[in-house]
Amino acid sequence: MGISIFRGLRGVALAAVALVVGAPASAHHSFAMFDNEHQVKITGTVAEFQWTNPHIYIAINGGKAGEAAQKWTIEGASPGILNRVGWKFNMIKPGDKVVMIVAPMRSGGNSALLKEITLPSGKVMNNGGFAGPALIH
Amino acid sequence: MIRLALLASSVLALAATASSPASASQADAKKGPTMGPAYFTGTWEDPMPREILRPELGVLPERAGPPPADPPLKPEALAEWKAAARKNAEMLAKGEVPITPNALCQPPGFPGMMGPVFPIEVLQTPNQITITQEAFSQTRRIYLNEKQIAFEDAEPTYYGHSVGHWEGNVLYVNTVGLKDFIRNRNTPHSDQMSIDEKITVAPEKVTIEFTQTDPVYLTRPFSWKVEWAKRHDYKMNEFVCENNKIEVDPATGLQRLSE
Repeated sequence: MGISIFRGLRGVALAAVALVVGAPASAHHSFAMFDNEHQVKITGTVAEFQWTNPHIYIAINGGKAGEAAQKWTIEGASPGILNRVGWKFNMIKPGDKVVMIVAPMRSGGNSALLKEITLPSGKVMNNGGFAGPALIH
Repeated sequence: MIRLALLASSVLALAATASSPASASQADAKKGPTMGPAYFTGTWEDPMPREILRPELGVLPERAGPPPADPPLKPEALAEWKAAARKNAEMLAKGEVPITPNALCQPPGFPGMMGPVFPIEVLQTPNQITITQEAFSQTRRIYLNEKQIAFEDAEPTYYGHSVGHWEGNVLYVNTVGLKDFIRNRNTPHSDQMSIDEKITVAPEKVTIEFTQTDPVYLTRPFSWKVEWAKRHDYKMNEFVCENNKIEVDPATGLQRLSE
């Protein structure tokens, strides 16, 4: 049941993101450049964790299953939003093995928007509501 | 009349302070009698932060709502506004995101800072109300019981020049002097544009009704509304736009995320 509801809401979420861009909102930038419909799972080792505004970034060496490791830059929400969904500034460290579900840039390359991250402890964290849910697992 | 009432309430408040300092300080905490008739110092937020907390919900349909009406611009400006809105929608649908001042770390300014999605903090002092917005650490100042300055004296800024006065639990604010590119829903404006706010303060809820007036660009004033819910335990986060990896793609002029 849950999945069908989420699929139904996906269109609403996308439409609303477009509205937010047109509205006097405080969001930093639109997520429309990321391909939400073609999410990928990447696994790798954290090279850098930047806990900064306007977004946090996780750089990893890794990639999709069966592919050679490359550098990926993954964008997360802002520290303020992530604090509220249970993240901590020191939750991720260089050397951590992580698994992430991400929406890559439509224009290609190894940059993407985070949907969900699995930490070395097995704990799964989301990226706040505006980034939208992971659609693959 | 209003001034007299305000003066009378200030005198009463002062008298209360003088007669019983301890109880007056307790009253301050509850009501802030010298700050105005209504006390809304504290942290507020859009009433529906579920979008922030629960990605599986997406942005709630009630938030998205029906699309707002076009601003009542005069015909030539309206045609330009519609063309720009159409182009923007077409680009976003293709995943092409034009560069915006926000994406380059410029703050949205007023009135954008009064809306969602980050929390807002209100600070009341005797002659001023200061409103800060977590996103981009934005700050605006509303000077109480001062006369608004003339349009020609209003230096264009991100937050404008705001004056306000209380009538009961309603704070009336008038703002002039916004930079040309600081726009509500991309509505162009002249240097004679002003935005009025009717800010109704209740214990757990603030309602802000905005009305934008502009004799040069608009056929009539138009209004919109924002609501805040109290967040008792929220402490504002620092927000310095420190590490922005959103950049202009030199090939397309569009936004991209650097690698």
